[in-house]
Amino acid sequence: MYGFEALTFNIHGGYLEAIVRGHRASLLTAADYNNLCQCETLDDIKMHLSATEYGPYLQNEPSPLHTTTIVEKCTLKLVDEYKNMLCQATEPLSTFLEYITYGHMIDNVVLIVTGTLHERDVQELLEKCHPLGMFDSIATLAVAQNMRELYRLVLVDTPLAPYFSECITSEDLDDMNIEIMRNTLYKAYLEDFYRFCQKLGGATAEIMSDLLAFEADRRAVNITINSIGTELTRDDRRKLYSNFGLLYPYGHEELAICEDIDQVRGAMEKYPPYQSIFAKLSYGESQMLDKAFYEEEVKRLCLAFEQQFHYAVFFAYMRLREQEIRNLMWISECVAQNQKSRVHDSVVFIF
Amino acid sequence: MAEGAGGAAANGGSDEKVLDFLDSVDSYLTTMESLAPILRQGWFDLASARHSMGVFRVSSASLDLKDHSASTYLQMVGHESDDSFVGQPSFSLCKWASADNKSCCSEEEIPDSQLRHRGTSRLSENQEQNSNGDDSLKTVDDLVKKERAKTLSVFGTLVSPKLRTAQLSFETALEVLVEAANIRSSMLSAYSQVQKQMEDTREGEIGPIP
Repeated sequence: MYGFEALTFNIHGGYLEAIVRGHRASLLTAADYNNLCQCETLDDIKMHLSATEYGPYLQNEPSPLHTTTIVEKCTLKLVDEYKNMLCQATEPLSTFLEYITYGHMIDNVVLIVTGTLHERDVQELLEKCHPLGMFDSIATLAVAQNMRELYRLVLVDTPLAPYFSECITSEDLDDMNIEIMRNTLYKAYLEDFYRFCQKLGGATAEIMSDLLAFEADRRAVNITINSIGTELTRDDRRKLYSNFGLLYPYGHEELAICEDIDQVRGAMEKYPPYQSIFAKLSYGESQMLDKAFYEEEVKRLCLAFEQQFHYAVFFAYMRLREQEIRNLMWISECVAQNQKSRVHDSVVFIF
Repeated sequence: MAEGAGGAAANGGSDEKVLDFLDSVDSYLTTMESLAPILRQGWFDLASARHSMGVFRVSSASLDLKDHSASTYLQMVGHESDDSFVGQPSFSLCKWASADNKSCCSEEEIPDSQLRHRGTSRLSENQEQNSNGDDSLKTVDDLVKKERAKTLSVFGTLVSPKLRTAQLSFETALEVLVEAANIRSSMLSAYSQVQKQMEDTREGEIGPIP
């Protein structure tokens, strides 16, 4: 059961909770999305966004706009808000906020390592990294030849260091090893974040457990679907699933042996929360699965704001903003490619 | 009477060449029209893949700049050389050739002198084996799947099915382009024959210049 959070939360967290709830109120509404979906060009999108909080970030961008520019500038806004909150947070909220960015840090590490393997310029790779996942010694990643060096030279001093114990080998880095490294790191990060939230206790533990369990389950499904027809063995696939979530452990056993999307559906439909997701798809289809999962995630994230005095609102806000940026990216691509009839294939309304 | 019959035969032959030319123009236009929706679908699938996997993961920064052999190349047979026209050029696509497997999905021989490739890929005795039997078809299918996965591995080995769909769309577009090139080649050949026919007819009507 909860502690007496209502008595003490506002001492250190009240201000930032109010800030994040204010930010939440500025998320785009269905009316905004309807206007954006009717735009003919990317400049029209820029004009509509100028009336929102994205306005100052896009106003100085010259025409012709590109979809990547819109995504970059919208992401910058999210980064500014995050840094503003982080610099005013005290423990344990500051650690909680840092945890939210470790996923991006893992993606950046993999991007730098993969790009170096492909003889890309390090500076070019750094420009493509997610700003939320940057750390000081990231450029040094380019000198590592294997995971042991990666850990010893660079990552030992980063928050990702504890996650490397499960994947340190002396094998040279190649595409398959890097992919396994990415997913192993992410698995370790999710489990660590889960344990941290459990230690915090109260409403934070309860709400974050649900959100992180959903994230772990969705990852398991994506890993399964993406690995169908690849050289990843069943045992290796099983090792990439997190050790918590609704699907752990029996659902994971079934997912590990799936060879097509219908078998995945058969495994997932035994769990009522996921039955409704797969009910939206026709047999043999996986195109709309992403949207179905995003819709479910948005529903759960919005519910986090129904309760006060917990840290899950910060996590929910960051994720909702990322979903909004995904929506803007999708609308921009459909407008740029003159495929406006397909715009509703992937837009997920938040309100 | 004989002249009339001869004239009718000549006209029939001329009409046939014109019909051939018109047929090839129609095929060319139809093929080019079919290309645009395939490319559109490919770009849309790529945007879907970026939406699914993340824009930071599917970007030009992931592409491989190391020297590596081409996985797909174009073979051209029959070309104009200095004084003689060897034959109407025809194009074929050799898809998913691999330096490791030393085999290619195309069944045609590729003369080395006409190849443009950076690597060591070449046809081997395995080609004859691959063209026979269900087992060999499965082998080819497995090779193709492996090569496709290898090409996409720059974005990671566990990629979204949408990225694979985009790859298939662009592969189909490439095939349609080669088909269009072949039809264009036959169209130009038919046109030159029609032109030649018309010039011969004109010379026949005017007669030799004294």
